[in-house]
Amino acid sequence: MGSGTGSSSRTELAAALHRLRSTLARVRAELELAEADGDSPPVGRLRADLSEALELLGAVEAAAFGIVPVLVLDDDERLAELTARGLRRLGYEAESAGRIRALRPHEVVVFDLGLSASLDSAQRATLKAARPIVVTGAADPRSRAIAADLGAVDYLIKPVELTDLAAAINRRMADQSG
Amino acid sequence: MTAKLLVVDDEPRTAELTAEILRRAGYSVDVAKSGTEALERVRMGSPDLMLLDYDMPDMEAPEVLDSLRSGGERIPFPVIILTGARHSPGDQVVGIERGASDFIVKGTDRQVMLARVRGALRERASGPGPVVRGRLHVDAFRGEARLGDRQLKLERRPLLMLQLLANHSGEVVTRSELLELVWGSSYTGFEHSMEQAVHQIRRELREPGWIETVRGIGYRFVIQN
Repeated sequence: MGSGTGSSSRTELAAALHRLRSTLARVRAELELAEADGDSPPVGRLRADLSEALELLGAVEAAAFGIVPVLVLDDDERLAELTARGLRRLGYEAESAGRIRALRPHEVVVFDLGLSASLDSAQRATLKAARPIVVTGAADPRSRAIAADLGAVDYLIKPVELTDLAAAINRRMADQSG
Repeated sequence: MTAKLLVVDDEPRTAELTAEILRRAGYSVDVAKSGTEALERVRMGSPDLMLLDYDMPDMEAPEVLDSLRSGGERIPFPVIILTGARHSPGDQVVGIERGASDFIVKGTDRQVMLARVRGALRERASGPGPVVRGRLHVDAFRGEARLGDRQLKLERRPLLMLQLLANHSGEVVTRSELLELVWGSSYTGFEHSMEQAVHQIRRELREPGWIETVRGIGYRFVIQN
């Protein structure tokens, strides 16, 4: 469930650490300025910066330990979370969402084709770049064409057992590190 | 009934902040500051769910899990492990194998944490043990159900489904939850099988009011006189 830690990982680790340091330095500077001026610190900005720092820390960990994150997207958010929980139990770093969000570095996306109609062009491009694993209840040629258009690397027909989904994720990860 | 949670973390501020987030979400929360203290608290009374820090000076999470199991096959309540740093996937699996239900990386969005707590509590509510609701008695573990003195002939999945619904009497149990908890699949495709199970339950009960269909969402168990 991890990728190699070659020179590209070291480069990513260095980049993520650099950005993390910059973000934390920004937070400290905001606090120092607020303290010097006797003002209240800018809570909203600091919270956004700290959220970013935590995301960057995740990127650092992923690069250091070779962890590949997984995002399960389904219009039924509860179903998406049940699947993500099942994957976490198998050892994956899985999260769920009801709509596409900014992806973490190298995130493997499990995408319910039912969401395809709701994608705007930017989201479609994000998804295509991620080369998702598509899960769908339909096996008709039109659905396959939609999946192909989204850059799907795998096409699984519901019901999908977790072990089959895990195998697809592993294939996708092997493809990524190859 | 308010669910009782136990937060276990050796960093007092982290423990209290986590507890406060959970209290504001309506839970009753206790805090333990070590693995040893957590085990003592559990001996005094089991929580409905434990949030357990992975790394503590006296015990790591797998040791706490082993002690909680104390020879039994499973821990009688869900345990979610809180990790400060992401461990290798292997460590995560070890935690699950020793009885943890889920993992949360510290610093995870508050709403995500609350969703995972809700999910684990829901799962617990469907656990084994006989359920008595009015004239209905269901014991899926023993494979039996009866209405008054009359035995109900139900196959395994309809029986599990009836027990799950009875456990959540008055609440809507969604189709997704039923698929996950009764069919062990998080994907649809067993929906026809679920409808057949409902049909079998209603046919055996011979009284339609016990199981209400909540259109497009799921089913609700309603006690009948």
